[in-house]
Formats: sequence, C-alpha cells, structure tokens
Amino acid sequence: MYVKVRVDEDKCIGCKLCILACPDPNVLTYTENKKVSADENRCKGCGLCVANCPKDALVIS
Amino acid sequence: MKKDIFQISPGFEDIMPAEYRDLIDNGPFEKNVGVSDLGSFKELLEEHPLCAGCGLALSLRLILASLPNPEDTIIVGSTGCSALAFPQVALHNIHSLFGNQNAVASGLKRALTLRFPDKVKDVVVIAGDGATADIGLDMVLQSWFRQENITTIMLDNEAYANTGGQESGMSPMGTVLNMAPKGKKFPKVSVPELARESGCAYVATVTPAQPKKLGKAVVRGILAARELGPSYIQVFAPCPTNYKFKPNETISKIKLREKEGTYETKEYITAEAQELFARLEEGKK
Ligand SMILES: Cc1ncc(C[n+]2csc(CCOP(=O)(O)OP(=O)(O)O)c2C)c(N)n1
Ligand code: SF4
Ligand code: SF4
Ligand SMILES: [Mg+2]
Repeated sequence: MYVKVRVDEDKCIGCKLCILACPDPNVLTYTENKKVSADENRCKGCGLCVANCPKDALVIS
Repeated sequence: MKKDIFQISPGFEDIMPAEYRDLIDNGPFEKNVGVSDLGSFKELLEEHPLCAGCGLALSLRLILASLPNPEDTIIVGSTGCSALAFPQVALHNIHSLFGNQNAVASGLKRALTLRFPDKVKDVVVIAGDGATADIGLDMVLQSWFRQENITTIMLDNEAYANTGGQESGMSPMGTVLNMAPKGKKFPKVSVPELARESGCAYVATVTPAQPKKLGKAVVRGILAARELGPSYIQVFAPCPTNYKFKPNETISKIKLREKEGTYETKEYITAEAQELFARLEEGKK
C-alpha cells in the first residue's frame, strides 16, 4: 500500500516547519503564495511532516 | 569552482535528466542559502533509498543545505547507511574504506592546500557513529592531534544500522538491538569530550529537531576548520528501523531524550574560535 502526503492550502500558514522535518529532499516546497506544496511522487509517507505541523494542515493517506 | 564547471554543454540540454537541469537553474550554488531557505531551492540531495522517517537522512539534508561554500566543498564519507545516500549528492564526495575517512580527509585537505593555495576548499567528513567512534576512532583522534584543518561530522544513530543492528560505542548502556540481544554493557562514549581534549577548535552536539542550530553549528565548524584547526559536530540522528519506533516519531524521540537529559546539545568553543566567530559573524551583519 502506498501512502502519500497532501497539503490543505486553507489550513497551511506557511511556517515551513514541515519542510525542515522531512527526511526526503525536494518533496515539500514553499510556493509563491507563501504556502507549502507537496510533490506526492517523492513522498515516502513517514508522517514526520504531519507530526510537526502546528495547524494539522497535512494528511497522509 | 564556479558554476560553469557543471553547466551543461550546449547541445546536450535535452538529454540531461530533468533533475540535473533543475540543479543548474535552481540549485544552491553561488547563492548563499541556508537551512531556513529549504523548500525554495533545488537541493543537493536527490531521491535516496534510506528508510521512511530516517533521522540520518533528515540530518544529511539539513547539513547539505547549511554548507557555506558548496561549490568548493569535498565530502569524505564512510560505509554505513549514509553511504547509500551519497551517490545521490551533487557534490564531490569520496567513499573511503570503512573507518579510514579522517585519514583520507587529512591527506585530501593537505593536497588541496598545496594545489590551490589561493582558494578555500572545505573538506568535511560525514560518517556514522560506528565509523567515527569505533572502527575509525584511531584515524579520527590522530587527525585531531595533528591539527588537520578538517570538519568531522558524526551521524549518530546509536547503532550499526546498515548491518542490521549491532551496538556501537555510541549506543546508550543497556541498549538491546537485533544483534545485541543481551544489552550493551558500557555507557555511551563521550566523543565531544575526546574532541575537546584532543585539540578541536570547535565542538558541538546538535539535533535535526533544531534545524537552525544545526545549520549554525555546521557553518561554525567549517569556518573553524578553515582558519584554526579541526572541528567536530555530533548530530543525533535516530533510526526508526533498528530502534523499532514509528517513522513519524523520529523528531519526538529526539525531544524526549533531550528532556530526559540523555542527549545533551552543547557547544565548546576555544577562545580563538570565539574571536573568529565574533569577527566573522559581526562582519556579516
Ligand atoms: C572494513 C569494513 N568492516 C566492516 C564493514 C561492515 N559494515 C558495513 S556498514 C557497518 C556499520 C556502520 O555503522 P555506522 O558507521 O554507525 O553507520 P550506520 O549504518 O549506522 O549509519 C559495518 C560494520 C565494512 N563494510 N568494512
Ligand atoms: S510524509 Fe515524510 S516523506 Fe512525505 S512529505 Fe511528509 S515528511 Fe516528507
Ligand atoms: S536503517 Fe536506520 S539509519 Fe539506516 S536508512 Fe534505515 S532508518 Fe536510516
Ligand atoms: Mg550508526
């Protein structure tokens, strides 16, 4: 089973804490509208970003 | 080294992988980026085979983003889990025989100093705890005694992870692993104290739970090695696979150990290094 991260743009405040918690490179990026966006294809589904998000803006499914 | 060295030759653009082209256009070279800019540039590390939630992979990612001079940094690695990531790192890096990393780095730094007397070439060792505190300890200590101008970074996952979980000198007392069923009989070796007593100008223990602190330590370690002498940075990088916790708990495990007082983050700075950092960090403001 593959699990991947998704970002809820409405909840994301662009604090970037998830970007600093992910062990995999170039998965989570900071976009021009000051939010985080995820490249699902590069995600391993570990959940560290979810555990570090203060706004519950990330989900693994 | 300047960016044009890895620039794509005209006519070959379309056959180069997209990741390489991205690195040329959006990589960190000649940009003065740091940990806080992660997510806004193409990283030096590409997709790697390390486990989901690997503390070592996270630490490596943060370390690479912190290098003050990536164009002119040469990394010396050793056998272990991190060796599986290094083929995916867009920097000069050498895989040395397990344990020999500090000997290789010493020779390399001396040769580069002779060959490029007017250039700054940073030689940084990045190796596991087994490679640093056990099998390569001889070479590590000798490089410190001899005052080699290199930075030594230990990725401390408190085990021989890549070979299935044996205890290392860095495992805490009592640790039980797949291949250490009876529990470790002696306490964690204090390499930071060894470093301090053996002549390192700058010593720090950091964790990826505090990325900015980690980044600052990497920069300081490299600056100290350039100007003064050896430096040592120990990064706590827990391994969910061998310590059998969930991959989403890597950072909370670090915070717990810090709270318990069983993993201390600290800095040791010689008076000379204090002076150097004050001068350089003041100059940057
Ligand atoms: C000279 C030599 N001895 C032993 C080994 C087997 N070996 C490979 S990886 C490893 C353990 C590495 O442990 P560590 O340095 O802590 O790195 P980790 O895998 O934990 O990141 C060992 C003993 C080897 N490859 N070469
Ligand atoms: S689940 Fe893990 S690999 Fe995926 S984006 Fe989050 S931290 Fe990165
Ligand atoms: S075994 Fe441990 S240290 Fe090695 S890649 Fe997996 S999580 Fe990382
Ligand atoms: Mg190890």
